[in-house]
Amino acid sequence: MAYSDKVLDHYNNPRNVGALDKKSENVGTGVVGAPECGDVMKLQIEVDGDRIVDAKFKTFGCGSAIASSSLATEWVKGKTLDEALSISNTEIVQELSLPPVKIHCSVLAEDAIKAAVNDFKAKRATTAQEQSAK
Amino acid sequence: MSERDADDRSRAATEPASGGERTSRPASSRSASTTTWTPQSCSSCSADLISPLVCAACRTPLVAEPAPGPFEVFGFERTFELDGRTLMKRLLQLSKALHPDFYAGADPQVRSLAERSTAELNAAHKILANDYRRADYLVRALGGPTSEADRQMPQAFLMEVLEWNEALEELRAGEGAADGPEQLASQLREARDEAMDALRGHLVPLPAAGAAVLADARRDLNAVRYVDRALEQLSEIRLGRASSRR
Repeated sequence: MAYSDKVLDHYNNPRNVGALDKKSENVGTGVVGAPECGDVMKLQIEVDGDRIVDAKFKTFGCGSAIASSSLATEWVKGKTLDEALSISNTEIVQELSLPPVKIHCSVLAEDAIKAAVNDFKAKRATTAQEQSAK
Repeated sequence: MSERDADDRSRAATEPASGGERTSRPASSRSASTTTWTPQSCSSCSADLISPLVCAACRTPLVAEPAPGPFEVFGFERTFELDGRTLMKRLLQLSKALHPDFYAGADPQVRSLAERSTAELNAAHKILANDYRRADYLVRALGGPTSEADRQMPQAFLMEVLEWNEALEELRAGEGAADGPEQLASQLREARDEAMDALRGHLVPLPAAGAAVLADARRDLNAVRYVDRALEQLSEIRLGRASSRR
């Protein structure tokens, strides 16, 4: 099976590899994994108001998993939280021309976006609660 | 043997999850901890059988219909805890009874049956001898979720997996402390023991088919799978280091 050019491009030049400060209240972190293949993916977003201003990822897995998460960070940047939540794995599959056996990699990326957004939302809710308690 | 037993046996091979009726399970339905193969006696020498595959007493390979599961092949009850010595003893006993050498001059049909059964015995042993595969078989057989179906893991655990991978990456690049591999290995072994202890808590005593606790057992198994994968990668790195020192 050959990887598509877009997968190879993301694999060779992954965008936004790295980490954001997990403890910052503007940062949401999502870690997801696929036990079948042992892949694990961390995706972080930095949010200003309701908009994602930065995104980083770190993925241990196959080329498709790396490409999917690299693409996901590119796509969420500049989007609102709700827009980011609406990104579906099928869009990633189409963009990267992933073969059926690699579809789970795109699912992982979608899950990672959702986990990061939900982590941020939970953090914001806690902060709001703390503030109203004061 | 009653007809009901025969019926249960046939279901055990194809649809191990379901007990009794198709639509609803009576509360008293048999738990999977009872063996699904009821020991019988040999039709040629009437000795008690220890496996549906062969009579060890008169060395007659038997046709086991339907295909028995790994525990049934060994004549064991389905249990997560399995004594390694008992397993080995039974393997030798059955291997000896089925050994192709004894059937060299036998009828070709008998010979090929012995060969097929030997392969079946080895496949069953591969499952029973490994704690992960044995538990995975039990969770599937009891109708629990597969690793594909239930992949949710706690965030804290996945962070740990991420850290192992980062450590592996460092080691692969030749960075880190000299005892880095040993440190990571002991960390991984500890994580494996922890997951295995949790698994034991969920599978001993063996839950009923379809029990909710099977989802917890699957989560423990997924944890073990992540650990085993990291251990595999670590041993590849160690092998690489050892060969580059030569």
